[in-house]
Amino acid sequence: MRGTQLRAQPLGDSAIAIALGTQPSAELLNQVHAAAATLAAERLAEVQDIVPAYLGVAVFYDALRTSYNELAPRLLAVCERATGSTAVSDKIREHEIRVTYDGADLAQVSVSSGLTVDQVIARHSGRSYTVDLLGFVPGFAYLSELDSALQLPRRPQPRPRVPAGSVAIAGAQTAVYSLDMPGGWHIIGRTDRVMFDPLREPPALFRAGDIVRFVPTP
Amino acid sequence: MITITRAPPYLTVQDMGRKHSRSSGVPRGGAMDVFALQALNAIVGNALDSAALEWALGGGTVRFEGDWAFAIGGARALATMAGRPIPSFTTCRARAGDELTVEQLIAGRFLYIAFGGGIDVPQILGSRSTYLPGRFGGYNGRMIAHNDSLPLGARPHSAPAEGFTCPPELLPRYDLAAVRITRGPHADLFDEVSWHTLTETEFTVSTASDRTGYRLKGGALSDSLGNLPSDASCQGAIQIPVDGTPIVLMADAPTVGGYPKIAVVTEADLPILAQRSPGEIVRFQLVTIEQSQRGLKRCASDLHTIRASGAASA
Repeated sequence: MRGTQLRAQPLGDSAIAIALGTQPSAELLNQVHAAAATLAAERLAEVQDIVPAYLGVAVFYDALRTSYNELAPRLLAVCERATGSTAVSDKIREHEIRVTYDGADLAQVSVSSGLTVDQVIARHSGRSYTVDLLGFVPGFAYLSELDSALQLPRRPQPRPRVPAGSVAIAGAQTAVYSLDMPGGWHIIGRTDRVMFDPLREPPALFRAGDIVRFVPTP
Repeated sequence: MITITRAPPYLTVQDMGRKHSRSSGVPRGGAMDVFALQALNAIVGNALDSAALEWALGGGTVRFEGDWAFAIGGARALATMAGRPIPSFTTCRARAGDELTVEQLIAGRFLYIAFGGGIDVPQILGSRSTYLPGRFGGYNGRMIAHNDSLPLGARPHSAPAEGFTCPPELLPRYDLAAVRITRGPHADLFDEVSWHTLTETEFTVSTASDRTGYRLKGGALSDSLGNLPSDASCQGAIQIPVDGTPIVLMADAPTVGGYPKIAVVTEADLPILAQRSPGEIVRFQLVTIEQSQRGLKRCASDLHTIRASGAASA
C-alpha cells in the first residue's frame, strides 16, 4: 500500500484504529477495504472484529491474549503488505436490489431536483453504488455515490418511524433502511429484500466494499 | 425456570455481548457492568460470560420454579427472600416457590442477578444479550415483563457453598472519584485547554444517559471540530459533539460515528462509570495504554481469584 501514511492508535483497551489517510476519497476507501480484507484473511487468533470506515480500519482484539504494543506493529505490517484494491477485486460481491419506486418523498425529490419522477427513478437506478461502510444501526449500509442532481440535504424533521426496506437518499448517499427506525432521509421506494436478519450469518446483506445496483420493478 | 411476578421498569437478559458482528453494524451490547456480571457468575459457579438479569429503575419480584443457586450485585439493593435480607456478591440458594424481592435500589444504577446455570435463552450472533433497539436477543428481543418465565441452563457441576462471599477488595471501587481514560484516536486534535477541561472538571452524569451513552454536564470542550468522516467507535469512547459537552459511549452505542473521540474510558473502570446515576459526579484521570491494559488484566485475575476462592468453598 505505497504512498499511504499508515498510523496505528489505541481505540481503548481492545481495539486498534489504523488510519490509512486523512481525507476521504473513493481511492482511499478502496485501500481501506483492501486492508480490511487482507487483515481478515490473516485470521489472527487474537482478532475478534474488523470495522472498515472512511479513513481507516479498526481491529478489535482480545486484550487478555495480547497487548497494544505487541499487536499494533503486526497489524501495520499486514496493512503495508496489502497491495491495493486489485488484490481483492475478485472477492467483491455484487447485489441487484429490486425496488418499487413509490416512496412518500418521491414527488418532493422530483420538485427539489427539477427532474420528472421518471428521471429521478432513472438516475437512481442508472448506476452502481459502492458500500462505503455499515453502521448507525445493524445492517445499515451507506452507498455512494448518488447522481449529483439527486443530492439533497436531509429532511428538516426526521420521521419517527421509517419501515425496514425503505430505499432513501440524503446528501451524496443512498441506503436501504435495515430496521424500522426513525429517519430523516428522503424515501423514494421500497424493496422486500431483508437487509438485516440476526438469525443469518453474516446478519447484514451488504458488506463494506460490495457493489449494489437498484432495479425498478413495476 | 424463574418467573418474574413483578417486573421493575427496566429488566433485560445480558451477557458479555457480541464480539464478532461489528462489521455488520451490530454493537457489542452486553452488560453495562461487566465486572459485576462476571463476578456474580463466578459466585454461582457459572462460566464468567453466562447470561444474567440486568435490572434497573425500581423494585420487583422473581419466583423460583425449582431449587437454584443465585447471587445479586452491582447496584446496591435492598433485597429479601422469605423475610431475610439478601447480601450482595454472596452465594444464595432458593427452593422451588421461593420469592426474591428487590424492594429498591439504594446506590448505583444496574443490579445483576445471576442464576446457577445461567439464563438459557437462545444465542443470537454468539450472545444472549438483549439488544432493544434492534429487537433481538435476550427474551424475544424485548424487556422482560410481568409473568414472563425464563429458562435456566444445566446446573454447574460444582458451585460455591451457600454463604460464600466475594472478598470486597476484589470488587470495583464504585465510589472511586476518578475513572481512568486513555488517549483516543482524535486526542491530538484537541488543544491543551480542552484537555485541561476534560481532566480537571467535575462532570455530572446528565439525565440524558442510557445504555447507548452517558451525556456529561459541567464543562464544554473546544467545539471547533464538528463532524469528522465516520469511523469505528468502542464502548467507553468519549466523543465530543458540536456543543462540546462530552458523551461517553456505553454498551449499545453504534459501531461507527462521526464525532471526534478525544479519549476512551479504561475497560477496568467502565463498570464504575456505568453505575453512576444522573446527578452523580465523575472525574477523569489520564493513564497510558500500558497502564490501562494492565488494569484490565488485573480485573481478569481478580475474577479468577473470586472463582478459585468460590470453588475452594464448595
